Amino acid sequence: MAASVTASVPAARASSSKTESYVDNKRRDDVRQANIVSARAVADAVRTSLGPKGMDKMIASASGEVIITNDGATILNKMEVLQPAAKMLVDLSRSQDAAAGDGTTTVVVLAGSLLRRSLSLLSAGIHPTVVSDALHRLSVRAVDVLHGMAIPLDLSDRDSLVKSAATSLNSKVVSQYSSLLAPLAVDAVLSVVDPAHPDLVDLRDVKIVKKLGGTVDDTELVKGLVFDKKASHSAGGPARVENAKIAVIQFQISPPKTDIEQSIVVSDYTQMDRILREERNYILGMVKKIKATGCNVLLIQKSILRDAVTDLSLHYLAKAKILVVKDVERDEIEFITKTLNCLPIANIEHFREEKLGFADLVEEVSVGDGKIVKITGIKNMGRTTIVLVRGSNQLVIDEAERSLHDALCVVRCLVNKRFLIAGGGAPEIEMSRQLGAWAKELQGMESYCVKEFAEALEVIPYTLAENAGLNPIAIVTELRNRHAQGEINTGINVRKGQITNILEENVVQPLLVSTSAITLATECVRMILKIDDIITVR
Amino acid sequence: MAVERLLKDEATEEKGDRARMASFVGAMAIADVVKTTLGPKGMDKILQSTGRGRTVTVTNDGATILKSLHIDNPAAKVLVDISKVQDDEVGDGTTSVVVLAGELLREAEKMVNAKIHPMTIIAGYRMAAECARNALLQKAMDNKQDPEKFTSDLMNIAMTTLSSKILSQDKEHFAKLAVDAVVRLKGSTNLDSIQIIKKAGGSLKDSFLDEGFILDKKIGIGQPKRIENAKILVANTAMDTDKVKIYGARVRVDSMARVAEIEGAEKEKMREKVQKIIAHGINCFVNRQLIYNFPEELFADAGILAIEHADFDGIERLALVTGGEIASTFDNPESVKLGHCKLIEEIMIGEDKLIHFSGVAMGQACTIVLRGASSHVLDEAERSLHDALCVLSQTVNDSRVLLGGGWPEMVMAKEVDELARKTPGKKAHAIEAFSRALQAIPTIIADNAGLDSAELISQLRAEHHKERTNAGIDVITGGVGDMEKLGISESFKVKQAVLLSATEASEMILRVDEIITCAPRRREDRM
Repeated sequence: MAASVTASVPAARASSSKTESYVDNKRRDDVRQANIVSARAVADAVRTSLGPKGMDKMIASASGEVIITNDGATILNKMEVLQPAAKMLVDLSRSQDAAAGDGTTTVVVLAGSLLRRSLSLLSAGIHPTVVSDALHRLSVRAVDVLHGMAIPLDLSDRDSLVKSAATSLNSKVVSQYSSLLAPLAVDAVLSVVDPAHPDLVDLRDVKIVKKLGGTVDDTELVKGLVFDKKASHSAGGPARVENAKIAVIQFQISPPKTDIEQSIVVSDYTQMDRILREERNYILGMVKKIKATGCNVLLIQKSILRDAVTDLSLHYLAKAKILVVKDVERDEIEFITKTLNCLPIANIEHFREEKLGFADLVEEVSVGDGKIVKITGIKNMGRTTIVLVRGSNQLVIDEAERSLHDALCVVRCLVNKRFLIAGGGAPEIEMSRQLGAWAKELQGMESYCVKEFAEALEVIPYTLAENAGLNPIAIVTELRNRHAQGEINTGINVRKGQITNILEENVVQPLLVSTSAITLATECVRMILKIDDIITVR
Repeated sequence: MAVERLLKDEATEEKGDRARMASFVGAMAIADVVKTTLGPKGMDKILQSTGRGRTVTVTNDGATILKSLHIDNPAAKVLVDISKVQDDEVGDGTTSVVVLAGELLREAEKMVNAKIHPMTIIAGYRMAAECARNALLQKAMDNKQDPEKFTSDLMNIAMTTLSSKILSQDKEHFAKLAVDAVVRLKGSTNLDSIQIIKKAGGSLKDSFLDEGFILDKKIGIGQPKRIENAKILVANTAMDTDKVKIYGARVRVDSMARVAEIEGAEKEKMREKVQKIIAHGINCFVNRQLIYNFPEELFADAGILAIEHADFDGIERLALVTGGEIASTFDNPESVKLGHCKLIEEIMIGEDKLIHFSGVAMGQACTIVLRGASSHVLDEAERSLHDALCVLSQTVNDSRVLLGGGWPEMVMAKEVDELARKTPGKKAHAIEAFSRALQAIPTIIADNAGLDSAELISQLRAEHHKERTNAGIDVITGGVGDMEKLGISESFKVKQAVLLSATEASEMILRVDEIITCAPRRREDRM
């Protein structure tokens, strides 16, 4: 009767995999199905905006604002979905935005396709955790495949950097300007790389200033500082200062105001006169102190407590030939001081020369219908850069900014992880092929799951072709064929409408975008698969 | 003759069987909600908030799920409470305790229907629980004497706890993190000195443990970014304007110059305050409130690193780990306890700059930085890691260890069965029922993994009737496996707490024979 342990265990395994116990799982399956269906609906919504020939979406927000964009993360952010699983997909695209900055549409489309396949696997009676584990193994393997395809890159190879930035820009509204914006993005990022930490890039050191007017063509990289403000010269102050000594001040040049409530009692006419005179003297005293240090450009922080400058102080400052820019936000101060290599001054008593920054030229330039203040030729400039984006209307400018941000992220990815990979659906097809072959080596449920998911990856080239108006089935099958013959860098050339070696077409993207897309998408799908109930709570 | 109404108008009362039935149903419903999250192949739940923002939480943690439920049934509330207590006491086993209590009640319901008095059932349950506990005590292993083995025990426990969570794929990595963090604590169960920082981006594998303390704040402009041998003053004081806070205070002056003077005086006051702070001989000043531009500049001039707007939790922890005290007046420098650390510097995690305090006075302090795809992942990872940390810190104190995978339940069930056979009288039924309830746990683990539970449990039982077996459910292969070889361990303390509090809770619910719902409090105006 007592069978040995070794004999009974395999017997149990055999029997347990055959006989499924009866459990009432109807509600759970319903919840899972509902989750998957709604998550896929989100994925379908952005599907058509994938690729260089993808379409844009127009979003009218509740406040009446209109946004036209091609950026997956932006579309999803504005969609206000309520279903929890659909929300997770929105978060997924946001994570991709944070991790790689680009590929936000790709990651959602990929997750949608994986979910579709999981649904059919689940309906075939496979346990969700088995599917989920298979997916995890697949993602690890897929990343290996991508690493195998990657081409190492040297940061001095500016051409390659420009190419990958251009690939990212090609799918955007501003694609016709990619030849201008791509090198601009590369230069911007490279100029803020700190030689001490070559693999860290803080994109906050690249500031994008938007100014309406002109065309995107006029967008430029400024070595220095740009304020989207007029110089305050209502009293006839200078609009151009050479050999500028710049002070960033955090106090106000206006009549004194105490924190305690105060009131000045005026009892007769002569007193009034005296008060006016005193006010004048007070301000004049401040201006003199400022002038004494040789300062000739003032950047004044915005204050909510009182006016930063009054007409009177402007008048005196103008007399002293000091250029004034007022209403600088407090959170910009750090960027400004870093760029100018100076220190902010919070009190007139501390106004000393060593706290000033120096620049060759500060001038007010009229751009389009407005004016901006430019500071150039800064001495000992910090590692910061400003990109001045121009455009004919607000919608274009906003989209240009988003696209530029993507391009900057792409370059940053390359600085962090110096590998390039072919674009145009080539990596997805290659992953699909290699993983499909791998599935044949596996056994049991896992093999079945991996095979399904490997096919699911083909959604990217399929959608690319579809959006470009090509025959998706013909394209994907041909692509598969070419890859099977060992041409791993062939991809869809959307412009020519055929399949070519995509590297020769200069369509490249950072490895990090692809790897992060596949890992994030699988992680999200696994999370959705593991959910079996939605509970409403407080 | 009509009986006078005892209760207020809207108060309701349920008696006898009806009351008992209501409790049973409520408790079992709660147990069923969390049942599917049990075990390594347990599923997750989405918690959708009906409040503002309709935030979504994805979790596998029993305590979190139960905490957020709307519950009306009094018996169900008892179960939620025991899970909460379990969470506070030992940190893990929050689902098990509810499921076990639910199963005990399910069995009790059958017995009550078979006309066994609840008191008899309770007596039986008590005997069974005592017997089960003794069985565990005998089987528990203690490796405290052997540090190497003990560490591997800790690793195993951490991995077992994590295997049912989102971190399961990287459980080795996280088990190591958790063990390292807990070992640093050197026996104290104060988890406050382990700080968990969540930063979106990267993947879970990129999470790491760092000694010292990390504050998610920025250093003031123009101040040193790196300080060695820092003396830190942690404060909670207003550094914006030192307003005279007397209601309606105002000054009357008769000239502009006087206003300027007052302004100057205010500035002077601020400067004095800053001077006093500097006079403490510090080189780092952390304030909970804002630091305005003016004092910020003064600090910068004095070469002091000033951090503003550190949140409450942040400064309390910082004070704790650096050995300082939070100060709010600065007149007596000698009475203020300063914090110390070897090095303060700015580090970059993902895209954000944070301030890192290393070499802090409280050597056991450390920070775990969690990275992950989204906030859902991070939150769930934090909960899971917290569970693991709790269990480990408990285990460090009480180093007895059991095997996992349904092994302890089967051991207990066997002993309880023996007891049932020896016990005469109706109590034997209750004892037997207790053993069935214990076996329900491995059954549910198997069910959740989609395995044939009936088959597996009977095999497991057969295995356990041999001497010294390590058999448990191996959900990965879907059979019976040797738990010791698979390295699946659980803390004795957790199991004991599960057993005792589940028994107690079910006993409490069983004793109920009347539910009185008080009349809702009326609002005055609604008459």
